[in-house]
Amino acid sequence: MNLRAIGCNVESAAVELREKLAFDAAKTQKALAELNARFAAEAVVLGTCNRVELYVSRAETVAPLHVPLMAEFLAELHGLSDSAIAPHLYEHADAAAARHLFRVAAGLDSVVIGESQISAQVKEAFETAQQQTATGPLLNALFPAALRVSKRVRSETGVAQGHVSVASAAVDFVRQVFSTLTDKTVLVIGAGEMGRLTLNHLVELTPAAVLVTNRSPEKAADGARECGGRAVLWDQLDDALVQADIVLSTTGAPEPIVSRKRFDANVRRRRAGRTLLVFDMAVPRDFDPAIHDGDAVSVFNVDDLARVADARMAERRRHLPAAEGIVESEVAKFVTEWNKRANGPVIGQLTAEVDRVRDAVIAPLLEKLNGRLTDADKAYIEGAFRLFQSRLLHGPIAALHEASREGHSGGLREALMKLFGLKG
Amino acid sequence: MSLIQGIHHYCIGLSYLCALLLELARLFWPGKGWRVAGLVFGAAGLFAHTAYLLFNQPSPAVPYGSLLILAWVLALFYLYGTVHHAKQAWAVFVLPVVLGLVVASRLLLTATPDTTAFDAAGWLAGDRFWGAVHGVLILLASVGVSVSFLASVMYLIQARRLRKKLAPASGVPMLSLERLETMNRRALNVAFPMLTAGLFLGSILLPEAYAFGDNWLSLKVLSTLGLWVVFLVLLYLRYGAHVPARRLAVFSIVAFALLLVALVAAHPYAVGGAK
Repeated sequence: MNLRAIGCNVESAAVELREKLAFDAAKTQKALAELNARFAAEAVVLGTCNRVELYVSRAETVAPLHVPLMAEFLAELHGLSDSAIAPHLYEHADAAAARHLFRVAAGLDSVVIGESQISAQVKEAFETAQQQTATGPLLNALFPAALRVSKRVRSETGVAQGHVSVASAAVDFVRQVFSTLTDKTVLVIGAGEMGRLTLNHLVELTPAAVLVTNRSPEKAADGARECGGRAVLWDQLDDALVQADIVLSTTGAPEPIVSRKRFDANVRRRRAGRTLLVFDMAVPRDFDPAIHDGDAVSVFNVDDLARVADARMAERRRHLPAAEGIVESEVAKFVTEWNKRANGPVIGQLTAEVDRVRDAVIAPLLEKLNGRLTDADKAYIEGAFRLFQSRLLHGPIAALHEASREGHSGGLREALMKLFGLKG
Repeated sequence: MSLIQGIHHYCIGLSYLCALLLELARLFWPGKGWRVAGLVFGAAGLFAHTAYLLFNQPSPAVPYGSLLILAWVLALFYLYGTVHHAKQAWAVFVLPVVLGLVVASRLLLTATPDTTAFDAAGWLAGDRFWGAVHGVLILLASVGVSVSFLASVMYLIQARRLRKKLAPASGVPMLSLERLETMNRRALNVAFPMLTAGLFLGSILLPEAYAFGDNWLSLKVLSTLGLWVVFLVLLYLRYGAHVPARRLAVFSIVAFALLLVALVAAHPYAVGGAK
């Protein structure tokens, strides 16, 4: 295996540099073509907002690609100085490169552990390289394996469970309460950023209706237009609260806009026990927390959602050892299988060559002794030669397997081929 | 045949217990293998359960038989739920009830070894036909009450999480409150007419067999009537008073407790004998 993963991520390079190294479609195409043509390397370019990485593999007979060379290559491609790039690049070799890709695909190397987008981005990067015939046997085996590992990690551990942002934590609460939103109404009060972000998540669940209200009718109309909802007048807030199943409130009001007294008098009874979820994202709060009864009406503020998001992240971290365990076992499996694939032909050739030499030695010997040996003697001599051969080959083959397990069998394979005069 | 004869409550209970333990393990160490292994044990338990019922044909009129038949229906419900709600910890709630019923059935059989068999052909052909219909209706109502009980327990746990504002995805994965409430409502809506019709038939059949007072005041009859009254209250609270679902769930649990009393109590037919 002559594999390298070379690149930078949020930990090794600032966003300014990552922006400069970003790959668009044209640059990706050019990079893949150049890596193939100039370095005779199979390659995949993985570019996301958090990382820029090159996965490159060359024949085992040539020197591996390394950071200075790739820094030069990236500098030339992006019109930068290689000295500005090289200090921020990391390099993973062979099994470590496979491990790095498996961790990246599974979201274990992401800022938000277990994030789901990265798996799709790895797949897309691989497909792009494949379409350009930039991949070869190693990367064609490595990337599908990485996607399988990602799937295993996500399904067999809890690293991808739940939502970990404050805005999306609201979705977890919504799913805890409602089985579907297709017959539910979402009411948005105010025009705060957090409310908009949360609404984006909720809209994905296709609610039946979105109502938007604001002290300013114009802002309500704008907000409704943006999310495909309906504007409601501010003085119809109580009616809207009766109608709503989910409320997102983000006004900048200095006092609560819905007191418990107001809610009990104008809203609670008219709802006839229907469940209402209120996400009060405003600071100071828009809803009196005393409205929360945890049954018909549940009120969550920003702190509640932040606490849930933190808890989810902690929960994901708890599953990290199990996820890393899966990655390790899959790396070992991949490396062993790959090396078996690479060693197989060499061992086959070696055995055949020694068989040929043995036959060449035994045949004249038996001919010379013809008439003086019984069949049992002949069989004994042949057996002795076979035993000698297997003991002779045991050492090199065992060493080759051992080197394969450690992920560096390429040199030994080369040496064996030269020593025994095998053809590549 | 001898293999089926050898099936005991123990085989059934142990299979369900293994399935439950595997499901619990899945909560701590998520993985497909646990679920598949749990399903295999659950299916094995159901197979043994079915074979036992077919071979021994316990009468639903005797307590051990009624509990075992109810456990069998709930075991079906468990398998259905586990297959259809793969991400939910369905088995963690259903299997303890199934196990409890199997154990209670065994204890009752040991305490009062009444192994009256259910002669289905004889009942369907003879003058006990309406008695059989009464039994089937009460059994179906029992299934409804049991499903409602399970949905209510899950609802209360889920609602408690919401009230305490705990992280929704933490702990045992369950269906949404809305889904559980719907399940509870449907189960009760189906069970109530069954129970009413079953009780109505029973009240017609009972005087034919017994003098008033002999068995009208038996624990079984009284608890079943109590169950029916709780149902009436439940329906009123739901559709008349719009009481929050949490309180309805508590009533559903009370209904299940009454059902257990009714099932465990000796049936007038079984203890008194017909005139």
